[in-house]
Amino acid sequence: MSELKHGFRINTEMCQGRMHCMRACPTRAIRVKNGKAHLISELCIDCGLCLTVCPTGAIAATTLTFAELDRFKFKVAVASPALFAQFGMSDTPESVGRALLELGFDAVWEYSVDIELIDRAIAACVKKWPGPFPLISNSCPVVVRLVQVAYPSMVEQLIPVDAPREIAARELKRRYSQELGIAAEDIAAIYITPCLAKTISILQPAEEEKSHLDGAVGISQIYNDILYKLRTGLTRENASRKFSFSGEMFHWGAPEGEFPSLSREHYLPLTGLTDIIKVFDDIEKGKLRNIEFLECHACQGGCVGGNLTVENLYVARSKNLRLVANMPRSVSKFEEEVQRRYAIEDFSLRRSLKPRKIEGETGDLRGRVLRRKKAEELLKALPMLNCGLCGAPTCKSHAEDVAASRAEIGDCIFLSPDRIVHLRALYLDHQDTK
Amino acid sequence: MTAMELLRECYEIQGKNFDKAGEVSGEIKVVLRDLGIDAAHLRRLVIVAFEAEMNVVMYAQRGTMTLIVTEEDINLETTDEGPGIPDIELALQEGYSTASDEMREMGFGFGMGLPNMKKNSDEFRIESNVGKGTSVFSKIRLPAHE
Repeated sequence: MSELKHGFRINTEMCQGRMHCMRACPTRAIRVKNGKAHLISELCIDCGLCLTVCPTGAIAATTLTFAELDRFKFKVAVASPALFAQFGMSDTPESVGRALLELGFDAVWEYSVDIELIDRAIAACVKKWPGPFPLISNSCPVVVRLVQVAYPSMVEQLIPVDAPREIAARELKRRYSQELGIAAEDIAAIYITPCLAKTISILQPAEEEKSHLDGAVGISQIYNDILYKLRTGLTRENASRKFSFSGEMFHWGAPEGEFPSLSREHYLPLTGLTDIIKVFDDIEKGKLRNIEFLECHACQGGCVGGNLTVENLYVARSKNLRLVANMPRSVSKFEEEVQRRYAIEDFSLRRSLKPRKIEGETGDLRGRVLRRKKAEELLKALPMLNCGLCGAPTCKSHAEDVAASRAEIGDCIFLSPDRIVHLRALYLDHQDTK
Repeated sequence: MTAMELLRECYEIQGKNFDKAGEVSGEIKVVLRDLGIDAAHLRRLVIVAFEAEMNVVMYAQRGTMTLIVTEEDINLETTDEGPGIPDIELALQEGYSTASDEMREMGFGFGMGLPNMKKNSDEFRIESNVGKGTSVFSKIRLPAHE
């Protein structure tokens, strides 16, 4: 596999080494050495917690800028349903769609059909699945990466059905190149994303295939521009363009609604990494086998609570519910289109997902056992305070780092009291100069 | 000749403590995962460990689970001070259970524990003394070295 990429960058200049990210990271992928945070790439699952907690704004998502979008001839926005829940109660999806056109997109894709298609493909897959259960949704890239890194034995339980955003990008390229006579390579499918994780799923899909999407723009990135267009009015040309959005579209972004066609007693929606980890621990022990399908979103509250959204989760969800309630449902044209495409398209994941290879798990079993024993031995000399001053989030990770030759045991301030001088120079003197 | 033993860890299991049930198998899972045991074998091991732990929690006063990793296989030995199993063959039948209603209400005791452990092991053996306790041995072979 090529070098792992991530959906964010740590700006070393701006980083003050304050360790919020290191302490928040659920997979303990961050170390802070010499006052600067850095990433153990292979452990990072792109959940974006580090970006949310950074007090100095040194961690930023690597979404596309508008200038970068200009290199494409024909740009189509595929908007996460979460986008439409960000604005005022009277701002309709149609007006938000028109604002996207004003911002320079050549078209806004009607995404609800793709969501409905995947909903059906998932229901069909669950019905045919021989086991093991439960199957786990893969639309949240953080969940996929969490399983690949921390639950390797559950990788085969990630449902082998592609995400709707991918299906949408594939179809829109086919359709526009046919209708408008543009080469498919000149059409860009740009996802309007509620989280940084989906940018990485486009840059480097977990199944090691090439994404049908060409990039992502964060909701927070274009929020102000859209709001401005909504408030100052739209130009006549775009104001007259018709969009037909159906209510089905808004299920996808919120939990408990992704797969309305599955029966409630066999289907469990879960949001928030902490809860997901608890449930995955149980599954790995063989529990929850009576559940057929787990819908998991790493962000609390699902995609409407994504780390690149703007509106408060609860307000956004209320708007979302309102949109769902007010949208026309099962318009016959919508149903026709779903049936037409369902009959001819393949929705399966193009390649199977594999556990991620972690350094420290390489080498032979004997070497790995020795390293583990060494780490256990080293841990006995550490204070178990998890103070983080060594640069690792816990004493245990420090011991493991030392056993894997990634750190010196003496980085612990209890073992080398002199290190306080060094730390004072890094943190206190640093503040004096401010 | 037996393969060289690389790692031996012993864990205490408290009987009747449903709050903590699953903690030992959880710990074993983390140990084996960190050792880079491949996904398919890890899955089987975790199922065996969890079922073994649950049996001790449900029926015995206390027990121990010993994890032994060699270069060729992984072994789990679970020994408890419990009522023992009078008819091991019967206990190995799918669906046979002596669980109380209370246990079933908690979602355990559907008579799949021992059969499931056997199914997921490459070697499986039960020794039991009625009134004294039970020992369960499970071996899962690792793929040969490349």
